[in-house]
Order: sequence, then structure tokens, then C-alpha cells
Amino acid sequence: MAIAIFFIAAALAVAGGIGVIAFRQPLRSVLSLVVVMIALSILFLLLSAQFVFVAQIIVYAGAVMVLFLFVIALLGPAKEIGKGRLRFQPWLSALFVLALFGLLWAMLQGVQYRQPEQADLSTFGTVQSIGIGLFTKYLYPFELTSILLLVAAIGAIYLSRREGDDR
Amino acid sequence: MSTFDAGGSQLDTSWFLLLAAVLFILGTVGVLVRRNPLVILICIELMLNAANLTLVAFSRQLQNLEGQLFALMSMTVAAAEAVVGLAILVDIFRHRDAEDVDDLSELKG
Repeated sequence: MAIAIFFIAAALAVAGGIGVIAFRQPLRSVLSLVVVMIALSILFLLLSAQFVFVAQIIVYAGAVMVLFLFVIALLGPAKEIGKGRLRFQPWLSALFVLALFGLLWAMLQGVQYRQPEQADLSTFGTVQSIGIGLFTKYLYPFELTSILLLVAAIGAIYLSRREGDDR
Repeated sequence: MSTFDAGGSQLDTSWFLLLAAVLFILGTVGVLVRRNPLVILICIELMLNAANLTLVAFSRQLQNLEGQLFALMSMTVAAAEAVVGLAILVDIFRHRDAEDVDDLSELKG
């Protein structure tokens, strides 16, 4: 059962990923990316990461994607012009991507799996265990992310202010 | 040694890693080939998601929660990156049309 779910979700994710790079209209790319996000969230559930699953749905498929949709609605649906001006770019990028995939493949072959730590799997990845991790051992990084979000919010407000609105 | 139990059936961690590699490659292709700056940002999100998948997969394989915590952190970073990137894009588009990233070459000097 889990294997079937994995392959369905993986196929969805790859199909969505191809859609992201193949659709000419940005709107359709964003919607394909939503498909990828949801497929990945199913995979997170298979990996018993309940909290990451919820965060993926709310933060990514919800907030970030809606942000992209708003920006597309703001800028208008611009279709992409067919060709770029760099003549060798498609070939060079194909070569580069093949090399990168070969590298990743070779790395996957060489992965040495360490012995699992035998955690209590009944509470693995629940909100409670994640919260304990975030608020005890990783309190500093967690607080730093709030500063990061604050900086990003201030930056976005500064960048999107109107011209001559320097009060 | 790389399998783990998920609801009674055995899943292999390397499947997840391979899927993440494929998604990352798709994102790279998008960044290299597409010309619309907005779509390039979308492809970067795709690559970040692929990296998240590897983090969570290794977290499950090693039965160690730190991978999931790290995935949450990188989600935050991705959200911040999307916000700032989109704000810059909107600012650029307000002054002129930039349907092609090659139009934005003032920094070349």
C-alpha cells in the first residue's frame, strides 16, 4: 500500500515538475508547482513527518503559492518569448544538467547508510516532538528565523513602496 | 539497510533520494532554460523543495528529528526568499517591461 502511494505521489511530483518548466504561461507553472507541493506533502506523510506535512501545505501550497499568484495577477499574464539571444545556452545547459545528474546519481550510489538511532516511532515527527526540538536544543536557530522573516518583511515593504513616498 | 517500515510495507530511502535528485534537476533545467524571471523564481522554489525532501528522507532513515527541524528552517528561508525576490520583481516591472532576464543587464558595467 505504502509503495503504491509512493509511486503515485512520485509520478505526480515529476509530472508537476515537468509542467513547471514546460508551460509557457507563468500561471500554469505556478499551478503545476502546487501539484508538486501537494505530492511532496504526501511523501512527507509516508516519511512520518506529520508536522512538516502540515507546514508544507499551509506555508508552501497555501501562502507562498498565493503570493506568486498575486504577483502574476498584478503583473499580467505575460507569455514567454520563444528564444533567447544566447546561441549556445540550450546546449550548454543540457550538458551541464546531464553532468549534474550524473554527479547526483554517483553520490546516491555511494551513500553509506548509518545505523538508525531507534527513536520512539510512535511520536516521531509529531507536533509535540518537533516543538520540543525547536524550543530546547534549537532555540537559537529558531529565534534567528524570526529575525530573518522580519528582515524579509521590512525589505519587501521597502521595495514595494511608491515613488516619492519617502515619509 | 536503507529500507524502513511505513504502514506495514518496506520503503527504500534511495527512492526518495532519487526522486529528489530528479526534481532538483528539473528545477535546474528551468532556471537555465526559462527566460521569465518569475518562472525562474518558481523553479528555485522547486529546487528548495527537492532539498527538503532529502532532509526529511534522511531524517526518517536515521530516525533522527534534526532533519525535519532543518527542513522547517529551510522552508522559512524559502518563504523569505520568495517574498524579497517577488518584491524586487514587482519593483523592476513597475519601471519597465522585463519579460526576458537578459533585459536586466545593467550591472554588467
